[in-house]
Amino acid sequence: MSTIAETASRAPTRRRMRVDGWRWAGRIFLVFMLLYTALPMIWMLITSIKSGFAATQFPPQWWPDEPTLASYQKLLDPQNSVGQDFLRFFWNSLFVSTVTTILSVIVAVPAAYAFSRFSFPGRNFLFFAVLLRNMFPAVIFLVPLFILMRAIGLVNTHGSLILTYLTFGLPLAIWLLKGFYDNIPVQLEQAARIDGATRFQAFIMIVMPLSTPGIIATAIYSFIGAWNEYIYAYTFLSKNEQLTLPVGIQRFFSENTTDFPGLMAASFMMSVPVVVLFLVLQRYFVRALTEGAVKH
Amino acid sequence: MTIVTGKAEARRRLQPGTAGTLRKIWEHRADYAYVLPAIAVMLIVIAYPIYYTVELSFFKTPPGLQLRDKTFIGFDNYTTILTSQVFWKVTWNTLIWTLGSTFISFVLGFATALALHRDFIGRGVLRAILIIPWVISAVAASYIWKWIYHSDFGIIGAVLVGLGLADRPPNFIDNVSTVLPSLIVVNIWREFPFAMIMMMAGLQTVPDQLLRAAKVDGASAWQRFWHVTFPHLRNVSVVTMLLLAVANFNSFIIPWIMTGGGPSNASHIWITHIYELAFGRQRWGVASAYSVLLFLTLMTLGYFYVRALSGNERKEGSA
Repeated sequence: MSTIAETASRAPTRRRMRVDGWRWAGRIFLVFMLLYTALPMIWMLITSIKSGFAATQFPPQWWPDEPTLASYQKLLDPQNSVGQDFLRFFWNSLFVSTVTTILSVIVAVPAAYAFSRFSFPGRNFLFFAVLLRNMFPAVIFLVPLFILMRAIGLVNTHGSLILTYLTFGLPLAIWLLKGFYDNIPVQLEQAARIDGATRFQAFIMIVMPLSTPGIIATAIYSFIGAWNEYIYAYTFLSKNEQLTLPVGIQRFFSENTTDFPGLMAASFMMSVPVVVLFLVLQRYFVRALTEGAVKH
Repeated sequence: MTIVTGKAEARRRLQPGTAGTLRKIWEHRADYAYVLPAIAVMLIVIAYPIYYTVELSFFKTPPGLQLRDKTFIGFDNYTTILTSQVFWKVTWNTLIWTLGSTFISFVLGFATALALHRDFIGRGVLRAILIIPWVISAVAASYIWKWIYHSDFGIIGAVLVGLGLADRPPNFIDNVSTVLPSLIVVNIWREFPFAMIMMMAGLQTVPDQLLRAAKVDGASAWQRFWHVTFPHLRNVSVVTMLLLAVANFNSFIIPWIMTGGGPSNASHIWITHIYELAFGRQRWGVASAYSVLLFLTLMTLGYFYVRALSGNERKEGSA
């Protein structure tokens, strides 16, 4: 290590200048990306604490003369109709996303384990079939699924959404988890089985704890996917009291097109749960991608 | 239920032929129980819809989904699509949208990953902030940017006027020539973090020793990148770009919420156009035929996707 450091420090000045050049380019680029990423979000927050009048000024008020939380109060107040709707949409989204997440973990864990450990005929075919699901857009499935859901009486229920969301969470979930199981030595399980554990016990007591980061990553992915989904919810649900947040907000603001502070406040609050969830658990997610997807 | 071992491998080789396959399926019957729930869900939600779409694409359908009254018309729906002006316009938009978004997102994401690879104070925070757009809902993102692009009160317009670059705020999304690039900017905003995460994960697999060795041998920063880092990341790059391309090809929310495909189809891409044909104008047959064309295009992309993935697997197997 020390020799390397010495070599580097003794390197000719010209080359060090060039390396520094790259480093400065990197810093400037990062500042640019930070602005590109953050400014829209900051503008959303600033707009959300303006009054309707202050938001529609030209030139805009960079910082509101009279900051107000009125938009948030309106959205979160169960007494008025706007608040009632918003809270109901919020609850619907939470319900659908949570159930979807739990179910996709239950379905993905055994499937990924099987794809990783067993070699049964058609394994590769099935694995790629599962992955290929990711390729197809919602629109292809929309018409037939709508008809199917109508036939089995699921239109206008949250069941239709949960069933559909399961399928898009699954491919990546299985893929990520399979990567995890591939990295867990088979010998660990074999040792447990020699000690008298059944395969199921070995799975629950040895494999499950080791793959917790993968399961958490899978859960985050399913939750975020379900929380943000729009097109199926837009098509399958028509009753106001069942809408999820993205569709509910769109319906609401296509009727009140000028309430920009309200719209920005709603967008902000819709983003909070997933952003918080992701930021708290992101290290699992990045690790899962490293181990599951990339080393794959 | 056999854990794959050398013995199982040997046993399998002893039984070639159909009888062997059947027997193998029988021997592994319990293994299928593990994948059955996943496959069952997939069959209901994928196989049936695909079959139904293909069938419907050969029929003329009345509006309102009274599908018992459909009449068989062969390939007419396909000819209608391929000879229409709108189809080629929309195809061109889709190409620009998909390639533009994919390429720029990838380059920005990759560059960000490289810039973030070196440790510095606040790196974790910066990375977290950069990922946020990818996590928030596309509906929220569409509204945020719609507000930013607003023709009267939008902030970009105000800044341009304030700097004296424009006399009055430009109208970004109601203008045929600027609408598509404006939407691509929004899409990139949401997607570059994905490329960034993937490439960051990829960068961790580049062996440090190689980079140090190259440095000792006098390779410049660019040479180290081009000859050591980049070849290591080829597979990740291909997978990332394919995933991005598929996601972009399939995107719906941003154009749909921000413009609904307008003005005069300037921001319609295949997906939004199909949606409008089906649920807006209720031309189910034509929309299904469109979907089949889309499906075929995606199968082609999917072929490369699977090849890239199994290429990785083969490489891992030999390592």
